[in-house]
Amino acid sequence: MLEAAVGAQHAVSFKRTTMAQDTFLRGADPLWYKDAILYEVHVRTFKDSNADGIGDFRGLVEKLDYVADLGVNTLWLLPFYPSPLKDDGYDISDYTNVHPSYGTMDDFKLFLDESHRRGMRVLTELVLNHTSDQHPWFQEARKSPDNPWRDWYVWSDTPERYQEARIIFTDTEQSNWAWDPVSKSYYWHRFFSHQPDLNYDNPAVREEIWKVMKFWLDAGVDAFRLDAVPYLVEREGTNCENLPETHEVLRTLRRRLDESYPGRFFLAEANQWPSDVRAYFGQGDECHVAFHFPLMPRMFMAVRLEDRKPVIEILEKTPQIPENCQWATFLRNHDELTLEMVTDEERDYLYDEYARDKTMRLNVGIRRRLAPLMDDDRRRVELMNGLLLSLPGSPVLYYGDEIGMGDNVYLGDRKGVRTPMQWTGGWNAGFSNADPEMLCLPLISNPIYGFQAVNVESQKRSAHSLLSWMKQILRVRKSTRVFSRGTLEFLTPTNHRVLAYLRELGEERVLVVNNLSSSAQAVELDLSRFRGRIPIEMFGGNLFPRINDRLYLLTLGPYQFYWFKLRRF
Amino acid sequence: MAEETFLSDEFVRELGAVGEVDILVGIPTYNNRLTVERVVQAVQIGLVKYFPRERTVVINPDAGSRDGTPEIVKSASVQDFRSVLAANPLRTTHTLTTRVHPTRGEGGALRLILAAADLLRAKACTVISPESASITPEWIEAILRPIYRERYDFLAPVYQRHKFDALLVKNILSPLIHSTYGANLEEPAGTEFGFSGALACDLLAQDVWREDFMRYGWGVWMTTAALAGSYRSCQSFLGPKVHSGKQAEQNLAGAIQQVVGALFYSLEAHQNFWMSRTEPVALPLFGFKSELDLGPVRVNRKRLFEMFRTGVEELSTILSQILSAPVLQQIREVALGQENTCHFSDELWAKTIYEFAVSYHRAVMNRDHLLQALTPIYRGRVCSYLLENHGARVAELHKRLEVLHQQFERLKLDFIQNWSAKT
Repeated sequence: MLEAAVGAQHAVSFKRTTMAQDTFLRGADPLWYKDAILYEVHVRTFKDSNADGIGDFRGLVEKLDYVADLGVNTLWLLPFYPSPLKDDGYDISDYTNVHPSYGTMDDFKLFLDESHRRGMRVLTELVLNHTSDQHPWFQEARKSPDNPWRDWYVWSDTPERYQEARIIFTDTEQSNWAWDPVSKSYYWHRFFSHQPDLNYDNPAVREEIWKVMKFWLDAGVDAFRLDAVPYLVEREGTNCENLPETHEVLRTLRRRLDESYPGRFFLAEANQWPSDVRAYFGQGDECHVAFHFPLMPRMFMAVRLEDRKPVIEILEKTPQIPENCQWATFLRNHDELTLEMVTDEERDYLYDEYARDKTMRLNVGIRRRLAPLMDDDRRRVELMNGLLLSLPGSPVLYYGDEIGMGDNVYLGDRKGVRTPMQWTGGWNAGFSNADPEMLCLPLISNPIYGFQAVNVESQKRSAHSLLSWMKQILRVRKSTRVFSRGTLEFLTPTNHRVLAYLRELGEERVLVVNNLSSSAQAVELDLSRFRGRIPIEMFGGNLFPRINDRLYLLTLGPYQFYWFKLRRF
Repeated sequence: MAEETFLSDEFVRELGAVGEVDILVGIPTYNNRLTVERVVQAVQIGLVKYFPRERTVVINPDAGSRDGTPEIVKSASVQDFRSVLAANPLRTTHTLTTRVHPTRGEGGALRLILAAADLLRAKACTVISPESASITPEWIEAILRPIYRERYDFLAPVYQRHKFDALLVKNILSPLIHSTYGANLEEPAGTEFGFSGALACDLLAQDVWREDFMRYGWGVWMTTAALAGSYRSCQSFLGPKVHSGKQAEQNLAGAIQQVVGALFYSLEAHQNFWMSRTEPVALPLFGFKSELDLGPVRVNRKRLFEMFRTGVEELSTILSQILSAPVLQQIREVALGQENTCHFSDELWAKTIYEFAVSYHRAVMNRDHLLQALTPIYRGRVCSYLLENHGARVAELHKRLEVLHQQFERLKLDFIQNWSAKT
């Protein structure tokens, strides 16, 4: 009966890959993730198709043309599995089903097929580290120390073990141990107390997680974001992060993935220093892609300081990664803008500059969207996107940032950056036909960022809107592989307010020059080794003066940037 | 070390000042002071009349003229368009002159024009000969409209010629291109072409610029590259083609070496295309083609025949390396006959050309020498052609040329087999 209850999760299985995916994957480049441009979407708040105030898969399908037209090629979905939703879906109570609020398995399959038909791949969350305390596994495990599922989680009679492990959700948790009144013992949780950690020392856990993966891979999912991956294994006397045993778990999963599902990939969420994240690539035999967390706050810092130093320093400290691996870069996402991977001094600076109001701060981060962080300064928003899309890595765009959506820091936790997508200036911003009171989260409605002012429909009508500009920059980015696969070399002109670098791939050379300052700047670049080449500005296609032996003078307006192809004739 | 560059700094600066254009007209020059002013003015009027709102530029690569040609080009602007049209131009007109290395010939000029088209992102381009004495502003519309408005990628001209003009084209280039590339082109080596910006970028990227045939055989290369690349191609009737005295002076051996050399080179480069092609290539014709007979072309047939006979005799050893024994024997028999009964049949001619192509492909000897050896034989063919078509009207000649094309087509399989055979 237990098996039936727990194993029922796998009752629905999928014929391995759909025809759409077969066609899609046939002949695909095995390193396609290097060219991925990801769009992070929350099903819950993207589009509601059945007027219940909650976004769903059918609504998401309705908007796939919009997403494809934007120019991205990979969709990243936040968790959509059955869950008590105490952590917005990251507390999973059933790994192989769809939350009924979002639709059915058939709806999910429709979404997958329609995404593939439009040339877009789909990346879903795999919350490896923990489940909801409502998950049947935990419900069984807590019943008694002798329960067969007991060892699926990490238990202790005292809260004294693993003392060196830090607390991640500092605003809400005082300990990584929680007392379970049912089993009269403590269980380990690195995140919220209602999210008990799975025990990866148990082979049954590892096998079950592989089965979960297989389930979604057979459905046609193209990739997994491995949530909270540094914390899989605990060992006494360590900080319980990035342990060798954790890497072994990942290597095994990768081996099995490569054997049975070539062409799919793992994206590691490891909020660590670059040298620690490096380990998650292994020798090219662990995760294919990993987020470059430390780069992100430094982009924000560089623009505020009007100084290129933070960006150059962190990238110069970033180790080489295997040829078949890639960084994932981002500006914002569904979480707070994490400030874990900066120094205390840097953190204080960023808080002072970007989150003076303490309501904006959460855990060790800032829970604001991109446009409000940039004070709704269109030029700064463009500059930040220009950096994101020209530095190495596969970029991730967060839904709504392409139109400059605002946030609501008063909604609690990170809900303020997960508000409904603003499609129109009309009823419920075009998100839902439900009564406004039914919406899963309130819309942003202030005069600056409110849906009447900031919405897709009005921006589609203007060739000069942020949305139109985002489409243009994505087109330019995709016009060459130099951005996704090329090398990076910083230039060091005397003007520290200008961040300039070269991207090279084969014979292609692209020069990127960014004015990080709020005032116009002049910069002289030593390009003498490209003597004779003609810089062609990539957005307008216009020729700039040919490079010679002298320092190359450029002038840039406030927050302006250039991308030049250096062509030889 | 600086990378090699064929665009001068000044020219690049001028291109930058022009910015993106819709239409680009290239006029390559070398000592054309007698005709170039009229050509430039016809181009300007054509652009204003037919493309009044478009951004246009005229690019003049000059190979070191010593007769003031570049200065004439720069100053050759129509002072008052209202005297020829109903309106003045809306936009600034740009005419850029730059120097190309004289040893590169017209190919060097073409390369520069293609580079300008690429850098200025021109949508529609044309090359106009500075010697086209019969040019009218309507040529601009005839060449550029199919490219700019109808989205063709390549346009070859059709001229109204004297029936005995362009015999090299009629007897070698057209039938061989028709049988191999499948396109029935009247002027595969014209002096005016139209092409899209996309085709310009593709052509620019090809590694042919050091080849000798590119000096004057670039038209054939361009035509075959467009056909082999499956670019949308068409033809357009321009009207009479009147030669300036300069063109008439061209050396025949040199012309054969360049244009036939270009074609044989292209056959090698595109063999995967033409050897597997099964369908003909449709080439729409724009414009209304008139068939008036033009004034006579003077040819000394006796002298031609003498040169044919002498050439066959003197080059006998060389020709025996190029041609099969039966073909060479038949040619000798023609050469030993009488000038006034000279008959070089279509079948023999087709076999001759095919065997020359195969021998070129196999590099049986220095390729320049091989091409030169074709010259006297060509003279024999011309002699025969003139005799047999002396009284024919233009329409009859077209039919006879169709028969020639059919002969080439009939012998094509043998040609392919010989081409593919290991030596």
